[in-house]
Amino acid sequence: MILRAVEDADLIRKARRGDVEAYNLLISRWERRVYNYLLRIVANREDALDLSQDVFLKAYQNLRKLDDPARFAPWLYRIAHNEAYSLFRKRRPQGETGEFQPETIEGEAAPGGNAVFPIELTLAVSSALGKLSADQRETVILKIYQGFKFEEIAGIVAAPVSTVKSRLYTALDLLKAELAPVKARGVT
Amino acid sequence: MSCSPFDLRDYYFQELAENERRVTEVHVKTCAHCREELDRLRGTEAALLTLPDEEIPQRIGFVSDPVFEPSAFRRGWESLWGSASRLGFASAAMLSVALMVFAFIRPVPQIGAPAPAIDRTALEAGFSGRVNEAVGKAVAQSEARQERRTQELLAAAEKRHELETQAMMVRVQEYLEVEKKRLNTLILASNDAGNPAANPNGDAR
Repeated sequence: MILRAVEDADLIRKARRGDVEAYNLLISRWERRVYNYLLRIVANREDALDLSQDVFLKAYQNLRKLDDPARFAPWLYRIAHNEAYSLFRKRRPQGETGEFQPETIEGEAAPGGNAVFPIELTLAVSSALGKLSADQRETVILKIYQGFKFEEIAGIVAAPVSTVKSRLYTALDLLKAELAPVKARGVT
Repeated sequence: MSCSPFDLRDYYFQELAENERRVTEVHVKTCAHCREELDRLRGTEAALLTLPDEEIPQRIGFVSDPVFEPSAFRRGWESLWGSASRLGFASAAMLSVALMVFAFIRPVPQIGAPAPAIDRTALEAGFSGRVNEAVGKAVAQSEARQERRTQELLAAAEKRHELETQAMMVRVQEYLEVEKKRLNTLILASNDAGNPAANPNGDAR
């Protein structure tokens, strides 16, 4: 873990000096995670890919503003969060003040639907996540799927730690209630 | 409602401080209710994690093009302006250099060297001259005021004296007129006494 962090920091230093190959290597380490984070927020593969490209381009342009290379991940996700919410604002119909609710992916029950996993539970999880507010869903994604600490999530979404915890625990209660009938049928 | 001394969910997500984690761990070992709560959290997380990550449909990569690459100077300049800490350090360094340069080029005053001589005589002469001039001016003004006052008093005294003299002359004139009349009367009386024909009735006046 420490070795990986040092290597990332080394790649960042090289990229800052204009080494594009070093930056491409850095991208290859993070693109899948960033793409999946964005995919679960915007629920659209094309948008998630476009946003991922924008995120890494902006990150490269602003890499010199990153004071501490060890904080690269929260910094990168902060850019991704901003890009996703910028898209939400653009897509929001004129005059609508409610929060953005992602559409379900056309032709698929859930992002990443895979026969290896019990499809019913995957469907239920996808549906339950879709019922959360955008803020709650993002917090669940950052904590459960991306493994960030509360303090890092607070930095990414620009909210106090207490708010982040409140969003996560409320979301987990809702998810538990939503998933209870499926789990009761013993799908897992 | 959890009976755990600290938030059980914070414990589950490993967000407690070390001492809090240990206390909660001891509690959980003896509390069936909290263990059940932890199992429920574990179940919810496991269900969520059935949603797998997808492979990115298209790899992201950038191509180096010297046309679009900033020059080394520009990269350095942007790096300097892009970071508050670097900018602060550069400012402090420039300030230090400026102070050192100033310290070297500034003529150092010699400690113990005699102070430049002051011409006390000229200073005193100038001072005395200014004092004398001021005193002379004040005396002249005072004398002028005194002279004017004296003239006014003298004029007033002369006028008063003249009026008194005139009054006295008037009184003397009146007295002389009276005396002259008495003398004429006496003369007439004496003439009458020496010439009775002048008074046929022999009446004495």
